[in-house]
Amino acid sequence: MSFFKKLISGPIIFFLLISNVVFAESIAFNKEQLTALKKQNMGKQWLMLLWSVDCPPCFKELAILQKLQRQHDDLAVVIINTDASDEVNAERIDIIEKFELNTLTNFHFEDGTDAQSRFYIDPNWYGELPRSYFVESNGKFHGKSGLVNQSLLTKWLIN
Amino acid sequence: MSMLTRIVSVLVVCTSMSAITNISEAAGHNHQAMQPKKQQMARCEGTEIICAKTVTSAFAPNGDLWRLWALDSSIYFQISKDEGKTFSESNRVGIDKEKISARNENRPKIAFDKYQGVYLSWATPKEKKYTADVRFSYSSDYGKTFTQPVTVNDDNLLTGHSFNEMLVTGEGDISIVWLDSRHSYQLRKQGKKTNGSALYLGKANYRKGDKNFSNEQLANNTCVCCRIAMNYNNHGEIAVFWRHIYGDNIREFALMTLGQGDSKQSTPYQISYDRWKINGCPHQGGAISINENNRYHLVWFNQGEVGKGIFYASSDDQGKSLTKPLSVGMQSAQAAHPHMKTNGNRIDIVWTQFTGTEHELWHQYSNDNGKSFTQAAVIAKAFNGSDRPFIITKDNVSYVSWQRPRQSHLVQEL
Repeated sequence: MSFFKKLISGPIIFFLLISNVVFAESIAFNKEQLTALKKQNMGKQWLMLLWSVDCPPCFKELAILQKLQRQHDDLAVVIINTDASDEVNAERIDIIEKFELNTLTNFHFEDGTDAQSRFYIDPNWYGELPRSYFVESNGKFHGKSGLVNQSLLTKWLIN
Repeated sequence: MSMLTRIVSVLVVCTSMSAITNISEAAGHNHQAMQPKKQQMARCEGTEIICAKTVTSAFAPNGDLWRLWALDSSIYFQISKDEGKTFSESNRVGIDKEKISARNENRPKIAFDKYQGVYLSWATPKEKKYTADVRFSYSSDYGKTFTQPVTVNDDNLLTGHSFNEMLVTGEGDISIVWLDSRHSYQLRKQGKKTNGSALYLGKANYRKGDKNFSNEQLANNTCVCCRIAMNYNNHGEIAVFWRHIYGDNIREFALMTLGQGDSKQSTPYQISYDRWKINGCPHQGGAISINENNRYHLVWFNQGEVGKGIFYASSDDQGKSLTKPLSVGMQSAQAAHPHMKTNGNRIDIVWTQFTGTEHELWHQYSNDNGKSFTQAAVIAKAFNGSDRPFIITKDNVSYVSWQRPRQSHLVQEL
């Protein structure tokens, strides 16, 4: 192997690893992703939490999940950011990192698709936040608007 | 070829393939979903209005229509002399760059006096999450130059001050209301629990040299993330309409008229009784418009146990008693974000709905002071997202202003 090849291989591998990590952090949400999510989680009880950078109570629910995740590393939780604005991308990533929730499956609504994405999830949800969907093992969704307390989340996800 | 080179090559190929797959999937998906409206997706370049998520519009006393938007830490504006058919070139408000809140319920505000004065107010987010200051700048020369912005809230605390609304009289009396977290910030420091924000009022008059904004708390325990609405009544008093927190997180609308002396109201009137209990963010404020007979007209949105959807009601006694709330729009079609204006006996209400693929702007009006309304009708559509619609008036004619990102800003006579 030439010296030149060696020189470029290191940075390329490093770049690929980094870019893969970035891709793993948040996935653009769409109808197909939702279908796949439902399919993947069939047979288990899970939680889908929707949040926005403009929603102070959402932070409280993210903080509860952070706490639960420190105790149990296999939480069946999917987190979806609803801002649908490229302007908040950096802020969104910062917040998920701050709450150490980037090991969970994270999605975000793509720029300008908030109503469309909400509609795929639940045409009867008006975008109020936080919005938590408690999904039964048979795939049945139960939506709840507003902050959910820790005991209910613990009961659903851990006990 | 060495092992390492092979691994690198495979990785590169895999990454390229996955990138290609992603692109084609996205394109396929978009193609399918966007086919009927492909031609509608305009390109967003630089700081043009088409890139803006929100637009604020208002008629100046001389009949000019101003519209403004915020991008890249700047405020831009254009002026139309033909009710929005054509606009001037974009102008940047000549102040130093700073972040400007401009999405959903938050956006810059504009008002005028009758002496070529232009007044701007906005919220600027600070370095810590959920902290912001309410800012203000004044132009005495119809927008050629603007004063160095000042911070309206006087507490000097790194906490929430946002959702500003502004009214200015012909003589230049400025009134700005906003949601303020200074009280909850202090309580949190003492380890006490808090819920909601406070409603604040700041007053000044730059024309008369009164440049220090007063800061007065009007109410406590307000919802933290819904826009406020305000209007002058026919005594020249300001009426403020906002989402309040009653009891255990029941989010209902409240109304208070800021009268003087004997007519001073100390407790706001509760307007809605829809029982929306939510420890969260509805992101849906209301609207108020008062006619020359001092009848208050109101619209709001709730998702309560008792009332769901958009409601309209009016009051002849400044909110003490109310007509029976009338349901507006189709609840099953995401009817939301209502706005309204009254002119004499005419009342116009606009709101948005979503079909599953398109945003619709709906309109309904009354010619008999709200006793009866025409059948609701769709007047425009949006394909790439939708801002809240607002009604603005000129010479007793109402126009709707509706920003449709990456499509166009609609101004249409109602």
